[in-house]
Amino acid sequence: MTQRRVAITGLGLVSPYGGGLDDFFARLCRGESAIRQLVTGDVPRPLSMPFVSCLDFDADGTLGRPLAIMMDRFAQLAMAATFSAWDDAGLARTTDGENRDSWGCAWGTSLGGTLAFERGYREMWLNGRSRLPPSSVVIGMHNAANAHISIQLGLGGISMSHAVACASASIAIGEAFRRVRSGEATVMLTGGSDTPQAYGVAAAWEALRVLAPGDADSAPRACRPFSTNRQGLVLGEGSAALVLEDWEHARARGARIHAELVGYGTSCDHNHLVRPSAEGQVRALNNTLADAGLGTAEIDYVNAHGTATAEGDPIEISALKTVFGEHAGEVAVSATKSMHGHLLGAAGAIEAIATVMALREQTAPPTAHLDDIDPACAGVDHVTTASARPLRAALSNSFAFGGSNAVLAFRAVER
Amino acid sequence: MESIELIREFLKDRMAIDPEKVVPEAVLAELGVDSLSMLELIFEFEDRFKIDVPADSEPPKIVGEMVTLMDSLIAASQQS
Repeated sequence: MTQRRVAITGLGLVSPYGGGLDDFFARLCRGESAIRQLVTGDVPRPLSMPFVSCLDFDADGTLGRPLAIMMDRFAQLAMAATFSAWDDAGLARTTDGENRDSWGCAWGTSLGGTLAFERGYREMWLNGRSRLPPSSVVIGMHNAANAHISIQLGLGGISMSHAVACASASIAIGEAFRRVRSGEATVMLTGGSDTPQAYGVAAAWEALRVLAPGDADSAPRACRPFSTNRQGLVLGEGSAALVLEDWEHARARGARIHAELVGYGTSCDHNHLVRPSAEGQVRALNNTLADAGLGTAEIDYVNAHGTATAEGDPIEISALKTVFGEHAGEVAVSATKSMHGHLLGAAGAIEAIATVMALREQTAPPTAHLDDIDPACAGVDHVTTASARPLRAALSNSFAFGGSNAVLAFRAVER
Repeated sequence: MESIELIREFLKDRMAIDPEKVVPEAVLAELGVDSLSMLELIFEFEDRFKIDVPADSEPPKIVGEMVTLMDSLIAASQQS
């Protein structure tokens, strides 16, 4: 079977700023941070850390109570982002007799329904309850988000979840991409969601000493990728979804095509659980370029993994310099995590949206708070204020704990 | 709270079922109560009244049977 072109016809997210897609991208371009200080009342030690929360998200209002009550927050966020992307694609939520037997869902989440299980532990260990609701099983399961999505949209093809830590969503998007490109699926709904505010999760991250410190005043500037004074990453909850569609199917129904997804490559560092390796990242980048049939001179923007850890940022820049060689100084690079935080299993999805919007709007969003570039991170064209420029093709990097690397390649649509 | 009220409240809250349709002769499956929501309803009842519904209980088919089951278990627990 000949390879199909893959159109991105729908984008949707639960924005940490509370607005829609265009508002999200406009705020990124203004360098506006969504990071705030999270303070909890947890016992024995409350959490206090810079974090990104979707404070305006109203699950009952958005989804209806009967649907919302059968979901953990990661699935609620997933469903809301999905509906938004589906509406954006101009597709009907009901099948109305349309055959969607080949349409599927590939969803990324590193934590799944962790909050549901944590609630169960609290009920038993703290509140002395001896039993848990039977629905906890289907609320907590990792594939709850994609299962609900497939049910709600009548998708009869594959429905699966991908748990690959910080690369979960990029791998979900890539696997969905392959199914549309091969002709196996006409439409794939993909993306990711995560809720790392679970007490046991956030406290464990804190113990790893990679989280940026902060207080109510300093939290918005807490995440400073590539900066000399960077102090670590900022976790966040959220969800983003994309509709991938067979190019001809999209054209035939007159759908708006935001951008084209043209390549996906992966690799594993295979040497350490947390220390990234430039060599492994280089292989993922080169695999993606080869898959996309793109040369380095055609890549005008890279949305970096850029988490703002001491160790990770220079390694990523080193990998980019190896791959781009003499073009490295010309490629625009930014880490939008400086504003929307690190969404773990949803990171690849929200960053794919930022990358697609950059191509659509021909504007590279900046790395916020990058006043003083670390010499160890120099050598690429760091975007420090949003700039309109011709962007033909772009990459989005996701490099996970465990050494799993995934890179997506996108191309702008001629207008 | 009476058993029928608990059932009505649960079905309205969880499944947006009109309480007026939750009458003794109504068939639970026809209201939209599937095996999972039946388990949830039984759990809610056990939790609210601190009662154990025996695992070998015949699953009720109509609302009236559910009420009878709940009422008999409440009565038994109050005697013991």
